[in-house]
Amino acid sequence: MPSYLLFIATIGGIYGLLALSLNLIWGGAGMVNLGLAGFFAVGAYASGLLTTAGQVPIVAGWMAALVAGGFAGLIVTLSTTRLRQDYLAIVTLGFAEVVRLVAANEIWLTRGTDGISGIPGPWKSALGQNFNSVYFLIVVAALVVVFLVVRRIDRSPYGRALRAIREDAQVAQVAGKPVLRFKTEAFTLSAAIAGLAGALYGHFTSYIAPDLFLPLITVYIFLAVASGGTGRPAGALLGAYLVMTLLESSRFFVEWIPGTTAVQRAALKELLIAVALILVLRLKPSGVLPERIPPAPRPATGASS
Amino acid sequence: MTKTFRIGRRAALAGGVAALASPAVVRAQADPIKLATLTPLTGAGGPYGPVMAKAAASVVEEVNKAGGVNGRRVVLVSEDDQTNPEAGVRAARKLIDVDKVSAIMGTWASSVTTAVAPLCWESKTFLCTVSGADSITLLPHQGYLVRTQPNSKLQVMRVGEFMLSLGVKKVFTMIPQTPFTQSTFDTLNAVLPKGGATHQSLIYDDKKTTYRTEVDQALRASPDLLLAGGYTPDSVVLLKDLYRAGFKGKVVGFAYSINQKLVDQVGQNEIVEGVYTFAPSSAEGSTAYDKVKAAVGSANPDPYTCQVYDHASMVLMAMAIAKDSSGTAIKDNIRKVTQGGGKTVDNAVDGIKAIAAGEKIDYTGASGPCDFDEKGDILDCKFRYEQIKAGKFTVVKIA
Repeated sequence: MPSYLLFIATIGGIYGLLALSLNLIWGGAGMVNLGLAGFFAVGAYASGLLTTAGQVPIVAGWMAALVAGGFAGLIVTLSTTRLRQDYLAIVTLGFAEVVRLVAANEIWLTRGTDGISGIPGPWKSALGQNFNSVYFLIVVAALVVVFLVVRRIDRSPYGRALRAIREDAQVAQVAGKPVLRFKTEAFTLSAAIAGLAGALYGHFTSYIAPDLFLPLITVYIFLAVASGGTGRPAGALLGAYLVMTLLESSRFFVEWIPGTTAVQRAALKELLIAVALILVLRLKPSGVLPERIPPAPRPATGASS
Repeated sequence: MTKTFRIGRRAALAGGVAALASPAVVRAQADPIKLATLTPLTGAGGPYGPVMAKAAASVVEEVNKAGGVNGRRVVLVSEDDQTNPEAGVRAARKLIDVDKVSAIMGTWASSVTTAVAPLCWESKTFLCTVSGADSITLLPHQGYLVRTQPNSKLQVMRVGEFMLSLGVKKVFTMIPQTPFTQSTFDTLNAVLPKGGATHQSLIYDDKKTTYRTEVDQALRASPDLLLAGGYTPDSVVLLKDLYRAGFKGKVVGFAYSINQKLVDQVGQNEIVEGVYTFAPSSAEGSTAYDKVKAAVGSANPDPYTCQVYDHASMVLMAMAIAKDSSGTAIKDNIRKVTQGGGKTVDNAVDGIKAIAAGEKIDYTGASGPCDFDEKGDILDCKFRYEQIKAGKFTVVKIA
């Protein structure tokens, strides 16, 4: 049981990174990124390929995943500068599908649908049974760093500018904020975080394949951020663990229902998850930890007079 | 009411002492052996997984009725892999860490099997799979994996020979990108020219809702036989689009996708009339096959169901030979169950009895002889060819 909980906590942490990534861009700048799974895949493949075929150290693979994710994010934002809301959502969703199809079909590079197996884990053979614990700590460390960074952004003038863009880009522009630059930077950072999450996932389970990066994972993360609290990093993180807890605990819960077949239990499990999420959003529409907008700092008294 | 059920302190103490004093065997009985099925109960594999889980459960039930294995009861846990490697890995982790199962049986999609396999060999849990991708048995599984499905190369070679026997000259393959797509092309490109037929192919995206352009592209090559290599949902669309486009040639497909569910979903018999299907054959007519029929309540159980029945039987008998229920014990003894001569048995109950009597056994299962090479691949298998006539599957041949 402890190793299972550790495993779930690790995967939950990776979901948490994705939720922080989405929260930065969706909660912060109001850009709907349905292509999260795509950036997740870009990071996973970048690190997975470099450390297996390229033989580079794992840490370098992670760095490469950050860069590759960020670069993909940069390209997507620069090619969609005129798109907002639903239109951006459609294009990013398309981007994720393109990534998945490229991964499935460019066999010379990605080994196609066979996927990449045998991705090394850090000190895996030396650690043996302790690998999961150490990896959990690595993921937690990454999570803490990313969390502090995005919270810093959230509370800084930079974060306020992002919020202004979210509420009304035109007004922000009139107020002299370089909207495009803000959006590009935020999106690139968000995509880089998603890329890192992908790399962490690949090195943990040692196997990645195009089937892992279906839009389902994006949906899970949207649920996480929406139920946890859009616009607040702590909310997104809580939401990620909430979704993971629901996904896994429903497994045990349905086993207690007597007189059901395995198929009914599998269907019930999905039903339970849906009901729980509807309840959360019905009772707490702004999420468990709703966004807090700190009051704007008062100008110094000398300046106002 | 509650008073009636109260157990006095003295009674509890007496019970505890009695339990501790009783022989180890009795206590062991309270601690059952755990096995798991990890089949797709939802997702693309949804039509197969439920019956597979049922077949495994029937074996476990029979063995329990006959007294279990090594004096212990067997408990089967069934989880859903959702035909998705991410969900499959989480489910497998739960089976390995929480339920502490000795073996996981019945993984279906190749991507799920490849994702789950490392967890299994690292935790010394035995894995039995029905996935066909060639790459699976090439994983560094240290013996902790066997598969009862012939690998895709062998399957495609046979389907190629079958197509040649239909006397066709121009074959066109339409297939989504899967772990066996490339080896399908390579094998057909080798087999078909030998019989004087040409081969062309295209890869389509299995999540599209129409294949008009793909069908047009295929028909431009004017093939006289089309191999539809997809899964059920996309094959439904593909066959309809082929019919609409007026394709008059023969159609061959894998039986795992062209099945009764597909015929029902298509809904019009003329669309699927004459379509040939092809599958590794279960050992029809064998006594084990009859047992599967009775267990799942179906006149023609699919090959995966038969294979999972065999997985459960082999694993339980391997435990009986080892007198131990660990994954390593299964790994070290599974080939003593399946090959090397001895009394032929067709079910786990008889097998365990024979083992207890000190006899050597050779299991012949519902899916075939179940003999494995050192990589875990099956050595020999029959194939079954069917044709749809008026919405019904009729057997062409089993060879």
